[in-house]
Amino acid sequence: MLLTQGSSTDIGAVANAPLLWVLALAVMGVVALQSIIYMGAVRKNAAAADMSQAEVRKAFRAGGVAAIGPSLAVVLVAVALLPLFGTPPILVRIGLIGSAATEVASAEVAARSMGSGLSGGEYDVDVFVVALTAMSLSGAMWMLATLIMTPLLKRGSAKLTEVNPALMSIVPSAALLAAFAALTLTEFPKSGTHIIAVAASAVTMGICLAIAKAADINWLREWALGFAILVGLFCAYFAHNSGLGAA
Amino acid sequence: MSTDIAALDAAYTKTTDRWGRITLLLGLLIATSVPFYLLFTVDLNITAGNVIGGFLAVAAVYGVFWVVEPLTYYPILGPAGMYQAFMIGNISNKLLPSAIVAQSTIGAKPGTKKAEFAATAAICGAALIHVISMLLLVGILGSWLVSITPPGITEIAQNYILPSILGGVTVQLIATLKQVRATVIALSAAALVVFVLLPLVPVLGAVGIALAVIITIIATWLMRPASMRGPGGRGPGSTGDGEQSSGGQVGIN
Repeated sequence: MLLTQGSSTDIGAVANAPLLWVLALAVMGVVALQSIIYMGAVRKNAAAADMSQAEVRKAFRAGGVAAIGPSLAVVLVAVALLPLFGTPPILVRIGLIGSAATEVASAEVAARSMGSGLSGGEYDVDVFVVALTAMSLSGAMWMLATLIMTPLLKRGSAKLTEVNPALMSIVPSAALLAAFAALTLTEFPKSGTHIIAVAASAVTMGICLAIAKAADINWLREWALGFAILVGLFCAYFAHNSGLGAA
Repeated sequence: MSTDIAALDAAYTKTTDRWGRITLLLGLLIATSVPFYLLFTVDLNITAGNVIGGFLAVAAVYGVFWVVEPLTYYPILGPAGMYQAFMIGNISNKLLPSAIVAQSTIGAKPGTKKAEFAATAAICGAALIHVISMLLLVGILGSWLVSITPPGITEIAQNYILPSILGGVTVQLIATLKQVRATVIALSAAALVVFVLLPLVPVLGAVGIALAVIITIIATWLMRPASMRGPGGRGPGSTGDGEQSSGGQVGIN
């Protein structure tokens, strides 16, 4: 098989092995397969949720459109990481559980345990493989925890719905509101530019939703998030370059 | 009619449960085989100790989140969504926003069956865009994009994409839910945790968002309107198997 010196710094030579491309494609295939099966289940059983086929299509399309902005952002970051990890590992790590931020932080932590970092001459194939193994196993633990806990949580919440339906009717919205309120406010102390990005995005969304409601434009509801992200980044760009950023 | 609906609901649960678990397990196995292929085929100068040390270093930082994140997301995603979200990742910056947009588009309220189905369909749509963007823009055009993107743009995207998503999503969420009481409670609880509690007790940083979630659920329950105060309702202290006692930073993945 392919033999490479671990002390080489040519990550690409190792990371682009043909079998790794096959595995990366297989991972994307599994995500696609899951979505196809799930979409079939929604379509076939839509009546159980008092949902028309038109609404199923609308929800699917709205979800896809809403994901365009975030996906492009993830692509931009993933592409910036290509020289560090090679294409197939990036497809697998960022394509499956894990966000760019988590994976980079995990890789950096693992690389430091080898006395290196992700930049500089110390970062060779040895460090790369250790970092990739550590981040892969960490991702696997997330999935394992989900596989183990979901059935337990399902049983627990079914029991809870029986005992106290009123409580279970407030939990999902309250959890969602609190999670996003806290996530958003956590951005504030980071820098003035972060606050400007949040505010610009929030205001853009508010305007889009107001127009969508007043003029009854449904597609604007779907595209609003994309516009909000663009305006947020645009304002952040100017704020950052005028010295507000602490990045 | 109602038995038909129950049967459809059961069929949905059965399919999403079984195939959710199978596909998640498949994804786990394939993804984990990537580093092991390299470990066994590349001539490396590393020991098992290096690998274990690297893993333990990552575990020290993220180990809590492996357990705490699924716990925190379960009340929001439900079982079907769990298997999707923890396969695809990018939950708070991509999948949940997609679900919220879809629910807002068809007017489904979180907690209802319709919202659950809409979220699943929306995440499928998001997954399609996710796969296409990864394969096309990263897999095929990636190296070319690296060469033409000014580093300044990448830096801006990397640093400010999260706040740029969160501001808009939070506003859309509030507009969709139209629950003034819960919104005020959630914002107050989040502000209390982020601006008061965490600066005073920085060690709670890892569970800050979970704290905000727990406080909001308890406060919303205690301040629920009289119409929801029926007999048999139990207090928030006895909430069962732990969904509400979950902790953790939503939004790592």
